[in-house]
Amino acid sequence: MAACRALVSRAVLPLHFHYVSRGVMLTHVREKKRWMKAYTLIMERKRKMEGPPPPKPRSQQTNFDYHAEVEAFGARVQERFSLELLKTAFVNTCYLRSEEERRRALGHDLETTALNLKDNGELCVHGQEFTKGFLSDWCRGSFPSLPEEGVAAVVGHLTGSEVMCHVARNLALEDLTMSAEFPVPDETLQGTFFAVIGALEQSSGSVRAGLFIRDFLVTQLIGKDLFDMWKVVDPMGLLVKELSRKGIALPEPRLIRSAGASTVLPLYFVGLYSDRKLLAQGPGETVLAAEEEAARVALRKLYGFTENRRPWDFTAPREQLQKPSAQALSSR
Amino acid sequence: MTCALPKKTQSQWATFARSWFLIDARMQPPGKIASMCSVRLQGKHKPIYHPLSDIGDHVVVMNTRHIAFSGNKWEQKVYSSHTGYPGSFKQLTAAQMHKKDPTAIIKLAVYGMLPKNLTRRTMMQRLHLFPDDVLPEDILKNLTEELPQPREIPRKLSEYTQEERNAFPMLWTPPEDYRMK
Repeated sequence: MAACRALVSRAVLPLHFHYVSRGVMLTHVREKKRWMKAYTLIMERKRKMEGPPPPKPRSQQTNFDYHAEVEAFGARVQERFSLELLKTAFVNTCYLRSEEERRRALGHDLETTALNLKDNGELCVHGQEFTKGFLSDWCRGSFPSLPEEGVAAVVGHLTGSEVMCHVARNLALEDLTMSAEFPVPDETLQGTFFAVIGALEQSSGSVRAGLFIRDFLVTQLIGKDLFDMWKVVDPMGLLVKELSRKGIALPEPRLIRSAGASTVLPLYFVGLYSDRKLLAQGPGETVLAAEEEAARVALRKLYGFTENRRPWDFTAPREQLQKPSAQALSSR
Repeated sequence: MTCALPKKTQSQWATFARSWFLIDARMQPPGKIASMCSVRLQGKHKPIYHPLSDIGDHVVVMNTRHIAFSGNKWEQKVYSSHTGYPGSFKQLTAAQMHKKDPTAIIKLAVYGMLPKNLTRRTMMQRLHLFPDDVLPEDILKNLTEELPQPREIPRKLSEYTQEERNAFPMLWTPPEDYRMK
């Protein structure tokens, strides 16, 4: 189809056809139309001048039944929602305001025909608290030696607008949100996602909501490194603090290997030894960079965030339904 | 500053860095030395090898003056060359070649063992040959690792102590008036 479109746009018409839309092409036309070439060229020029058309929300495109879509969302995520709560969760404040303004502009009397929609503000706050609490508990359970700043950084990364909007867009929440602008701004989408989690918690309980968060948000951590999410400026200082807290001897850096020291691309391997035993070794372009990398590797080992750790348990929650508190500890 | 680079970049830096190997060619067969060099110059000792990748390392060979051919190769092995002009066919024995240039034997051996394509010249530029164990300072600074020698050097009789010589088992004890040449 695209190839045929390209052929038409280059005004080479070996096969004359009537192009209706993507996927529909009628080849049974009577004769070669003389105006077709001129028409298609003009349309192409117009399209090139104007650029791509602005994006239209799914609710304004054809074949959209809001109620059916909301039910389908619940079925797709394999969760049983109370549909009222879910529909409330999708309504944003900006949408309510824009709706009221539109009605006022159209001349509707607001006292007689008031908007019967509730906001998702409370659900959003509730969902946010629940999500942050659940994620912090999960984090502390999976990485018992990770300090509070680390836990806060990981939770902050997961509840940040990038990750949440990425997950929300792929769960088709953008099509269901009711907001004033399109495309939906990131904060609104994030708020809607929190509200959906809040609605889920109020409909099915905290266990199911916890499993939802585990399956959709915690999985975004797979393949991520700890220090991508947690910006540590001085890893050596942090390592010294951790080791002195545990009572282990302080680390001494030693140059283990070097390659091409007088070239433009040197490589140094620095190892950290505490009490004559190797803690960790790390590579770097200069000796200082290698020492810092070695400190980071040592911290990753201490907090259990290495690449070869045991993967987390995302199995179906058959046995874990009775013990929600132990679930965080066992999902390592 | 490379300190703030993410972890993937740091480990990639280590994976793709070029190492500098040192080989001592004293009392070693030049062919074995040359095959070790060619393996490391091509990068075939790395799991990320690909012929187009240019991931070979540098190899520094010292004591090339003291290599040891087995058999009678010093007199029998002939290095031939012809510049293309009539009357310029030269044949040199390995001993003559070695006297003229102590690094030439290993250089020619490595050149013949590398793949016969355009990357060969680049790899030869990364091979550093020194006739004795005096190495320039910047090369000494660059070295990463010394490779073990391929051939175990046998000890000369003069290197054995008198106790070891006495402790060596004798097949038969000669009588007192037996005269040994």
